Amino acid sequence: MLGAELALAMFVTVCLLLMFGFPVALTLAGTALAFAAGGILLGVFDPDYLGALTGRIFGTMGNETLIAVPLFILMGVILERSKIAEDLLTNMARLFGSQPGGLGISVILVGALLAASTGIVGATVVTMGLLSLPSMLRAGYKPSLAAGTICATGTLGQIIPPSIALVLLGDIMSSAYQHAQLKMQVVNTATVSVGDLFAGALLPGVILILLYILYMIATALIKPENAPPAVAEPVNLSQLVSGLAPPLLLIALVLGSIIAGAATPTEAAGVGAVGAMFLARLRGQLNRAQLFDAAQATLKTTSMVFLILIGAAVFSLVFRGFGGDRLIENFFLDMSGGKHSALLVVMLGIFLLGFILDFIEITFVVVPIVAPILLAMGFDPIWLGIMIAVNLQTSFLTPPFGFALFYLRGVAGNQVATRDIYIGVIPYVAIQLFTLGLLWLLPDLVTWLPAQMGR
Amino acid sequence: MGLLKQFSTLIDAMNWRLGQATAWLAIAMALLTVFVVILRYAFGIGAIAAQEGVIYMHSALFMLGASYTLLAEEHVRVDIFYSHFGPRAKAWVNVIGHVVFTLPLLLFIGFSSTNYVAESWRVLEGSPEPGGIHGVYLLKTLIPLMAALLALQAISTIIKGLAVLSSSEEQSHVRG
Repeated sequence: MLGAELALAMFVTVCLLLMFGFPVALTLAGTALAFAAGGILLGVFDPDYLGALTGRIFGTMGNETLIAVPLFILMGVILERSKIAEDLLTNMARLFGSQPGGLGISVILVGALLAASTGIVGATVVTMGLLSLPSMLRAGYKPSLAAGTICATGTLGQIIPPSIALVLLGDIMSSAYQHAQLKMQVVNTATVSVGDLFAGALLPGVILILLYILYMIATALIKPENAPPAVAEPVNLSQLVSGLAPPLLLIALVLGSIIAGAATPTEAAGVGAVGAMFLARLRGQLNRAQLFDAAQATLKTTSMVFLILIGAAVFSLVFRGFGGDRLIENFFLDMSGGKHSALLVVMLGIFLLGFILDFIEITFVVVPIVAPILLAMGFDPIWLGIMIAVNLQTSFLTPPFGFALFYLRGVAGNQVATRDIYIGVIPYVAIQLFTLGLLWLLPDLVTWLPAQMGR
Repeated sequence: MGLLKQFSTLIDAMNWRLGQATAWLAIAMALLTVFVVILRYAFGIGAIAAQEGVIYMHSALFMLGASYTLLAEEHVRVDIFYSHFGPRAKAWVNVIGHVVFTLPLLLFIGFSSTNYVAESWRVLEGSPEPGGIHGVYLLKTLIPLMAALLALQAISTIIKGLAVLSSSEEQSHVRG
């Protein structure tokens, strides 16, 4: 059993070493390789496991689903930089701003739209922090309310499709599901796709947005001084519609074609990226330099994601080689309390890991280990994927370590105190936990729409 | 140190140019994807070669972009503490990290992929699909190439880190 102990030791060591701040992908792979070398010397690790690495890397390069990742990143970067969001916020604020809480609702709606288009938490929080925080504070919003709202809407990028996080999760869930069914000796194996996850995420995403808005309305009613009306400005309705319609149509087209199964995520993402370039060009926001800038940003984000993928591949090969997967499986099998307590333990573990690891690392390191076990216990793969996504979103929002809070802290300067950010997100964390509970009790909220799509 | 510094500058310049050139693949692969979509949905033509072209561009994008991304400091870190470190502490983390983690990893990837790639070159492996691109051996070559470029960039980072560490040591000697 020395191998299994080394597997656990490796996991703990990686978590500690990551704290030094060396790039995550290289820390994951380097630590795993060092443990593998030690294991080979001690005779508890079969070097053949590592021989599979080159094949795994090549498999990643040719993975049809993952090609959607750079295309979605490109689409998001271009939409973000073409200042569509800025115009939207200005116009929406004019439309709703004269009502108590109206500016807050505009921020939630624009944030949700921006989240849907970029799909990257950091980018959304930073953009919203720069755009909306000053205007909310100027209108007299309580700093904690403004900060909490921006952090919470920023994390929606995780869950509202088409999100990159769901593309990555969909890829992992589909192989985990195959694995689990093979184990259960299911003959007619079913599949789960990125489109299924997109469809499953839609209703929970809408529920979250509605609950955020309800909270804002309730605040405006109970404590109007915290969310006062902004100075009324004339609304240019035609400008609002002409600003809102093109990006909304583009996102609806991309999302609709994937969910309806008419196009693969890659095809839809490609059309979305070129469509975004077209929109930006129409707005005069895409000259050669801006295009080059967007291409650069896409290259860097894509390389970052895929190097983590390679690092996580090394890590999980070594973890398997030590028998770590069997260790985890036995742990869950020995646990009393059935499948729901197993899920609770996994969700708690992922929540805590969300403090130190990003969505990508958790998706590639943790999900491949735990998902096959949970799926073999009979959980629905789409439901499990969405539960993990909402759970991580909550984790990124939870003080003191949530990622979103750091991003806002970074751009907020001295406009708000760290304390305000922490206090402001608490109601939103409560909404997240409530939603998680709701999805747990009513799984149909997730699985109904994918089922309607005939899957 | 002078020669090493020149070597580091040379590596940086090479990876910088390579990254800038490679970035255009992101735009090209989006356009090619749309081309494939139009052929497929409007004309019912399955363009295998174009579809594989997207895979080649996608692979080249992140395999050749990894070293540039390291140079541009865009590989994600857990920066709860790192962002508060001074230049010396950061240099220590990077020098030790690259020596202990990066270089052994890339040596391993480089050596373990040699047979795999050599075999592919020996038969000039082509696409399994009829009408596909006859260049799988080139695609596979990206693996050791990525390892080599990233290793060079890691060495350059180590050199720059050592320079930071030695120069501030000199300064503290002067002050002492």
